[in-house]
Amino acid sequence: MGLLDNKRHPILSGVLLLLILVGSYLIVAIPFKVMEVIPGFTDIRPVMLLQPIYGLFFGIIGCLASAISNLICDIVSDSLRWSSIGGFIANFLGPLVFYLFWTRISKKDFNIRNAKNLLIYCAVTLFSALVQTVIITPMVKLIYPDIQGTLFALSVMANNTLFPIFLGIPIIILLQEELGLHPKTKKERQ
Amino acid sequence: MGMNKLQANLCLLCVTLIWSTEVVIFACIPNDVLPFATTCITSLTGAVLLFLGFFKRIIAAFRQDGLKLVRDCLLLSVLDCSYNVMYIYGLDDFDVSTGAFTLSMTAVVLPVILLMKKENVDIKTWISAGLVLAGIMFALARNLFDISIPGLLLIFGGCIIRAVFIVRLNHYARKYDAIAIAFSYTLPVAFISFIIWVIIQPATFAAIPWNKEVIASLFIYSYFVVALAKSLNIFAQRRATPASATIIYSCEIIFSLIWGLTLPESLIDPAAPDAFTFIGVAFIVLGNMAQLADFSKLKRRKEAQNGTS
Repeated sequence: MGLLDNKRHPILSGVLLLLILVGSYLIVAIPFKVMEVIPGFTDIRPVMLLQPIYGLFFGIIGCLASAISNLICDIVSDSLRWSSIGGFIANFLGPLVFYLFWTRISKKDFNIRNAKNLLIYCAVTLFSALVQTVIITPMVKLIYPDIQGTLFALSVMANNTLFPIFLGIPIIILLQEELGLHPKTKKERQ
Repeated sequence: MGMNKLQANLCLLCVTLIWSTEVVIFACIPNDVLPFATTCITSLTGAVLLFLGFFKRIIAAFRQDGLKLVRDCLLLSVLDCSYNVMYIYGLDDFDVSTGAFTLSMTAVVLPVILLMKKENVDIKTWISAGLVLAGIMFALARNLFDISIPGLLLIFGGCIIRAVFIVRLNHYARKYDAIAIAFSYTLPVAFISFIIWVIIQPATFAAIPWNKEVIASLFIYSYFVVALAKSLNIFAQRRATPASATIIYSCEIIFSLIWGLTLPESLIDPAAPDAFTFIGVAFIVLGNMAQLADFSKLKRRKEAQNGTS
């Protein structure tokens, strides 16, 4: 990892990591902002699969990258409104839930090597999605009173649970088991 | 450490899910864009993305295995292109739902190929293959007398080639670096598709109606379906057997059916499943469960219980 592991310049390596994470997020997110995957329903966000990855493998920098990237996406897609503040907070807290659970609450190191750990991961994902829904939905409803609150909340919940589970799990397995990337949560616990 | 069996199966299931979304991603591409054009562009972009992300690893693999890796990956590319061409022309004779079922025939053909190679095939693999075959038969029963024989033969031929491809891929996945394989067999696929594309449509790139939706669709396909799914598939194949991988791939029909039932008509031909379809899907699910169930573990547990009592 070279410069990213530079102990003499931690701020420089942190900024570099942040830029790489923001860049990766945008590469995944922007094509989905451009095309309308399901007509009449624009908010399909597979990029949400990155939230657990950012929280577990990159800690606070990952959480920050998630929040900043989401804000940049709002700017790029011309949807920057006051509700983007809620989006920023939620997208910071989403990955943070994963990071906090495996550094402060769980007594075991993170891995998805058995059915029990798989279920725990799914439960944390569900909680993270719930936190984000509770933050974003009232703010959006406040700014756009015409929006259907329940439908919006359901779409946030669906994006933040389905993608981290169905696409996030295999990518986490790939990163951790085959590409040798260690969860940041393990280092923080030691 | 490497992924375990459960993780490999989860990854294979995810790969199948990603493959099934192909129709949704391609819905934004006009129908007059040839499949060879999309294969060429997405394979090339996918290979470039893999190289950008893992160039050190790929170069190291080439230094270590050199010509052997190139030769074996070239074989994979030729097999990949061959079965895809047969599927493309074979599927013209079927409606979407029936066609998708016939593609699952690979799960039935593969154990036979393994047996011909004098390799051991588990009893549960035969049971799974039998259940999948029953599922296909039920799905085809609806249109039994309208089935196009040339189309069916083309798809059957494609399934045989695909089965050979899976056996070879499984073998190479244990021999070479997974990312290097994904890169080295994707690049020739782009080249072969380009040759077919030039023959059918000499205008090639100029014939594509470039707009932001088309570019976004091609890019999403490149990184999700080509770069990610191919790499994930090869990594998982190292821990799975060709037979278990193929049975899991047959789940694609289940995902396709879900998309057909839930997504709007503008995106995908709506599924009109009847009792035959549901029974067919049920058999394929049973086939998957039979393959994934760890009977030896159950037997050991039973033996342990008998021992304690």
